[in-house]
Amino acid sequence: MSTVARLVYSYFMCTPMTRALTLGGLALYVFSLYVMASWPQSEHMLAFAAAGQIALFLGSAMMPLMFGRIAQSKAMVLLPHGRLKLLFSALITVAIIAAPAGLVTPFAYVAGNSGKFSDLSKYPQLRDFTVNLGLVIYTSSCILAGWLYVAMWFLSSQRNMAGLAKGLLVIVFTLFLPAREIRELSGTIAWNLQALAVVWTIFGAGFLCWPRLRMVRAWWRLPDLLGTQTSARRTSGREVDLILGTRNPWLMIAALTLPLVIASRIGTGVPAVWLFFLTIFSTVTGAIAGQAAERSRALWLRRDWSRAEIFLQAERSFWRHNSVVLGVLLALMVMIGSYSGLPLNLLAAGIPLLVLGTVLSTYLGFMITRGIRWPEASLGIAIMLALMAIPLLLEAGNANLAVVCAIEGCLAVLAFILRSIARRRWEQIDWSQCRPAKVLSTRQA
Amino acid sequence: MNDMAVQASHLSKSFGPKRVIDDLSFEVSRGDVIGVLGKNGAGKTTLLELMLGFTPPSGGAVSVFGHASGQLPGGVKSRVGFVPQQDELLDQLSVADQLKVIASFYGAWDANLIERLCAEWRLDPKARIKSMSVGERQKLSILLAFGHRPDLLVLDEPVASLDPMARRQFLEQLVDASADGQRAIIFSSHIVSDIERLANRIWILKDGRLDWHGDLDSLKESVVRLHIRGAAQVLAGLSVPGALSQRHEGAFATVVVRDWTPARQHSIEESAAVEVEVESLGLEEIFLELHR
Amino acid sequence: MFVLKPQSGVPIYRQIRDQVRRLVASGQLAPGAELPSVRDLAVRHAVNPMTVSKAYSLLEAEGLLERNRGRPMTVASQARNSSHLSKRLQQVQPLVEQTVLAAKQLELSETDLLKSVRQNWENGDE
Repeated sequence: MSTVARLVYSYFMCTPMTRALTLGGLALYVFSLYVMASWPQSEHMLAFAAAGQIALFLGSAMMPLMFGRIAQSKAMVLLPHGRLKLLFSALITVAIIAAPAGLVTPFAYVAGNSGKFSDLSKYPQLRDFTVNLGLVIYTSSCILAGWLYVAMWFLSSQRNMAGLAKGLLVIVFTLFLPAREIRELSGTIAWNLQALAVVWTIFGAGFLCWPRLRMVRAWWRLPDLLGTQTSARRTSGREVDLILGTRNPWLMIAALTLPLVIASRIGTGVPAVWLFFLTIFSTVTGAIAGQAAERSRALWLRRDWSRAEIFLQAERSFWRHNSVVLGVLLALMVMIGSYSGLPLNLLAAGIPLLVLGTVLSTYLGFMITRGIRWPEASLGIAIMLALMAIPLLLEAGNANLAVVCAIEGCLAVLAFILRSIARRRWEQIDWSQCRPAKVLSTRQA
Repeated sequence: MNDMAVQASHLSKSFGPKRVIDDLSFEVSRGDVIGVLGKNGAGKTTLLELMLGFTPPSGGAVSVFGHASGQLPGGVKSRVGFVPQQDELLDQLSVADQLKVIASFYGAWDANLIERLCAEWRLDPKARIKSMSVGERQKLSILLAFGHRPDLLVLDEPVASLDPMARRQFLEQLVDASADGQRAIIFSSHIVSDIERLANRIWILKDGRLDWHGDLDSLKESVVRLHIRGAAQVLAGLSVPGALSQRHEGAFATVVVRDWTPARQHSIEESAAVEVEVESLGLEEIFLELHR
Repeated sequence: MFVLKPQSGVPIYRQIRDQVRRLVASGQLAPGAELPSVRDLAVRHAVNPMTVSKAYSLLEAEGLLERNRGRPMTVASQARNSSHLSKRLQQVQPLVEQTVLAAKQLELSETDLLKSVRQNWENGDE
């Protein structure tokens, strides 16, 4: 049992960043619970509790990656009941992560009314109701958390387009379907528990039997539909793009299109939410720009380019790639938008939004010349929040148009600033501190 | 034309407070084969990256073929071949395609040599890189640096994952490349026997400084083990200048010294009335003794 | 022709030089006989060609080998053509001294040592 406990502990506390997120999120959540239990009409604290919950989830975001690595390690074969313990640790993590969401329900209810926790003991019907609601939310959160971890697994373990596509697909499904369910409060504990039992049984059985199932793996190799394997004919003239990873914009488009279409089918009921997701998708281009600096290392000795020229060439290469992706996204937005009858102002505001999303994420990615540190991470979060706020502001009413324009203007200026920062960093780039994070198998240090 | 392949003066590099390379000065001429030895973390990779301009020095200067490493012109870059410790292969390509991609960057690419080596080293041109073993990937990385027949070859732990037969084939190829005496080769390795075969000059990197940089032959003649026979009291008080380690048991003493010259044998024998026998050491032993 | 041990304390150029001397002294390399080219020898044994070249140059300076334009080195015609037993024995004298000293230090008897020599002799013929 101590192995399991140690595993769970390390999921939450493995790096300084996850430690900060876990402890910070926990503190925020506990604080908001305290306020809700002590003061009446304090249900706005729910936002803080939600923020704490999200931070807690992000703090455990390394769990899928660590789980996968340990599962594939040779040590797993030697540990007694290794796979079983690993499975337990994942189950327990999900159970822990979903707890805050469920626990907050009685507190929120109390906060929204008298603010006295003792009320619950006075009115047993009330207590039963909130407890029941809490359990429903808890079990739903368990399901949701499980799927979100699967999405994180795809995103973090396969640093390529295929992983990105799968991760986005899972996120879209999990955020849309249960969201509707929660809005209508149509879930029941029994149904949730059954769903949980089924999913976890299948996953658990598959995981425990994986070593034996691996022999049949040859069956499961899907055909190379997306053309991820390249041939010489298609690459001549674009070797720089190959090295930087920008050779094939259609890969990214394919990765984005399916989630986008599904999001549209489900989400056009609330246009702002759909635009919200579109914005998130436009920032995905930043994901590959983040690797640009470390990949440019291969160009230093091969081309007659100074570091400044390498930056310009990389920029050009990325714009060749991103303009195609952006073009397709914009076209999709206009097509789907007008087909679903979205309001015109939303469409008009959407165009600069997508452009900004692409530009900002690309240059932020270029800025990563020494790994992701606090400045880049916080900039990234700030930009994402600003971009996500715009569709919500637009939804709220036309009066906010001026605010939206102001924000978009500031973001445009920020893009130029980020570009000059990136350019300066590349001119001084120290490739010995900017290495690709490849898994070193048997090579010595 | 500048005969110096690489020239460095007072080169140093620090990462934050940590001084990885400390005041190095050296010269590499065409025709030299230099083996770089050092413990893990001694700074071998940093030194090689400094030489080629991948990382800027914190102090001092280093130049390749007369040009500062940070600003190498295209003409010089095409005369340099580098095999990094972590390969830069593109997983989604096949071997043949990867070779074609790299070949496209160079004007003069010896396709015949590459074809012959692919066959000799058993690399299947149609194999996908992501399904290759670590040894095959390493062989391909080495090939990528040979194709444009560079005048300066720098290799960072090129044989770490190769089996003995593959290592021997690679060494033979390096010997062939250096046979005309026009190329400079610098390679770092843990496998001392390979360096012993191939290098004519040795750099021993210890704590960021060049503990030794000179001919391998001189090194072997300069660091030796002395077997001294004499009276126990004499031996107990015997101090040999430059001794790296000393062991004394009764009438026998064993001393490993550096900076040895044959003349010292007579002077010790005469001054202390002892019998001295000189034993030469292999490079691995020398390395261990210097790091005691 | 040569047996090279890169790991021994003896530098490779000296191993080559000593072995060439012995082969010439015993007559196995007759005057005019061609030695392998620097490149061939270096590749064959995977050793630095400059080392081989150094050995050959030293031997040339000694008068044992002579350089021919465009062709590999050959044994000089005026090379000491001594097949005398005493001269050849002189070459192995230092090694014999070392071996006897070592055996005495290890308190081996003369018979033991001779038995070991005989065993090595027989194995070496393979």
